[in-house]
Amino acid sequence: MANALDVIRKKRAEAVGRIISKGYLSNKRVYVGMATCEMAAGSKEVMKVFRDAVTQGGLTDVYLSQKGCAGRCNLEPTVEVVEAGKLPVRYGKIDAQKAQEIVDKHLKHGQVINEWVID
Amino acid sequence: MDTTYAITLCEGTSCMQQGMRHLSAVLDEQLEKHGLKDRVKINISGCLGMCHKGPIMVVNPGYTLYGGLKEADVVQIVEEHLIKGRPIARLVIEEDHLFNRFFRIFGDVNFFGKQMRIALRNCGIIDPENIDNYLALRGYEALAKALTDMTPQGVIDELKTSGLRGRGGAGFPTGLKWQFTADQDNDEKYVICNADEGDPGAFMDRSAIEGDPHTVLEGMIIGGYAIGATQGIIYIRAEYPLAIERLEKAIDQAREHGLLGDNILDTDFCFDLEIRLGAGAFVCGEETALIQSIEGGRGMPRPRPPYPSVSGLFGKPTLINNVETWANIPVVIVDGGEWFSSIGTEKSKGTKVFALAGKVVNTGLIEVPMGTTLREIIYDIGGGIPNGKSFKAIQTGGPSGGCLPAEYLDTPVDYESLAEAGSIMGSGGMIVIDEDSCMVDIAKFFLEFTQSESCGKCTPCREGTKRMFEILTRITEGKGCEGDIEKLERLGDMIQKSSLCGLGQSAPNPVLSTIKNFREEYEEHIRDHICRAKVCTSLIAYKVNDACVGCGACKRACPVHAISGRTKQKHTIDQTQCVRCGICFTTCKFNAIDKI
Repeated sequence: MANALDVIRKKRAEAVGRIISKGYLSNKRVYVGMATCEMAAGSKEVMKVFRDAVTQGGLTDVYLSQKGCAGRCNLEPTVEVVEAGKLPVRYGKIDAQKAQEIVDKHLKHGQVINEWVID
Repeated sequence: MDTTYAITLCEGTSCMQQGMRHLSAVLDEQLEKHGLKDRVKINISGCLGMCHKGPIMVVNPGYTLYGGLKEADVVQIVEEHLIKGRPIARLVIEEDHLFNRFFRIFGDVNFFGKQMRIALRNCGIIDPENIDNYLALRGYEALAKALTDMTPQGVIDELKTSGLRGRGGAGFPTGLKWQFTADQDNDEKYVICNADEGDPGAFMDRSAIEGDPHTVLEGMIIGGYAIGATQGIIYIRAEYPLAIERLEKAIDQAREHGLLGDNILDTDFCFDLEIRLGAGAFVCGEETALIQSIEGGRGMPRPRPPYPSVSGLFGKPTLINNVETWANIPVVIVDGGEWFSSIGTEKSKGTKVFALAGKVVNTGLIEVPMGTTLREIIYDIGGGIPNGKSFKAIQTGGPSGGCLPAEYLDTPVDYESLAEAGSIMGSGGMIVIDEDSCMVDIAKFFLEFTQSESCGKCTPCREGTKRMFEILTRITEGKGCEGDIEKLERLGDMIQKSSLCGLGQSAPNPVLSTIKNFREEYEEHIRDHICRAKVCTSLIAYKVNDACVGCGACKRACPVHAISGRTKQKHTIDQTQCVRCGICFTTCKFNAIDKI
């Protein structure tokens, strides 16, 4: 009989498979902070912009996910864009309008919007 | 070379001893030589916990972890990796510690450079509502390892080796607590997670649960296995709806995957969890009050012993730990107690999460190795004090803690050092205070909180804090009298000595520590009726100066019509009418109103 470690290894492999099947290996991954504090700062609206862009706006090759608090309270809501082979870009104080600009400029045309980047 | 690189150098004690400073100079020289200076960002981190493989250097993107470096290696890294984009395999460390994931993503930002995330390793990285994300990052591997390779006693021994201490504030050695509970001969035992986070300004537990609920569950299941319990309870305050929702989802998903319930991971071990909601009484964070509250009684502490490890929930042996303690457990099991104990100071191992708030540029949730100094936290991670103001004090430990002035800035953060300095580690609240804050007012704020949260069981706490609050109120109103400071000290001392639980024993701390470190501010309030920070409204006045152009803006804004004057002439404020709300001060565009 398989022991617990074997069981968990199998579960991990399956989990990784499911994550990949959801598009994790896309060229770009977008993470939106969704903890209580981020939501209070407006991250739900931001998330909606990205979700709409992926489902209806023709944005392809993007994996969208929520995440918990990374600790940057004064800069929330935060959005992180991870692009294959590049340094991750983290944006701070993003609202729906800025999110739309990130979709149009960064995600569609690869232009990082430096003024909102947290460093 | 097109890519921009970020290099993180480990400046932990061990790496420094192994010549990191020299390597850093060599790196600098090489970057200069190849004209790469503006394309490579250098960050310094605290101990990365791989001391035996030092000196350590991390190259991002790609998270290449180099160890055991010599001067020639650094030259090679610059020429091969940075310029030609070819990482050097022979120098790469293959170790895959759980917390490394965090640096993979965040190791290149200064705010994170000095941090080390163990409890929060997945916070802000994974989708907390999807168990697949947790499983993919070696989630529940610690549980599987415990169930497969370790006896319950083996788990406890590993914890003892790790040196992990309770993160709720008291700092009791976790391994010992588990041992006491395991040693009880009883068929029925309980495991409790204390998520009744009540300190004003603290949000460590909420963020930890919202960001990564499964790590808490995994810790608790391992706890159940180690002490021989089959039932666990998470006591969380009802004010955290999102955290509760995510815990519920996590519990459901864990059940679906056979990680909770009967025969966990196809073994004989059975364990399940439920959530109990607290109604927000601060005292319910005290373990015996918390247990009473779960039992349906009124949340009031009872004398110890017997400790919960002997007689806890429903009179059964109960293991109760804080959220952050639980979140550390999987890492201790997967990476080993010995590794864990290589981080931190002699008596305080591992890391501590703090909610950094107040007058600091980067407010936020941070996790640093024990032994990091307050100065590093405030200036390197926190980015210093905003608006060019100067640092006055730091309040640690929430309403139970104390205020430390500038001379304590180099105090390393660990249980003993903070206590020696006159404050406490507490659960992790950290509030930075600048020159614009009045220390008497701060003490009053915290005391008002503990005073209203006193459960009322012990007279010294119930009545004593009330009297202290009255004295502080009259001092801030300019009605303080000689002897008030001594009265506060006497009352504080008495409350500390004669209260049953931690709430009363620590309630006077903010007052006593501000008297100790800022006595002159109290004296100024009482003798000279001066509040140097200009916070206490009864002790300040607003006056119009000669810069006034007579625009009338203040006159229109004043809610009590205390300002008079003709257009284009200097206005005056009637001090008998003025309520010192400060609206004129903020309204005036000409800096013509002085706060004195």
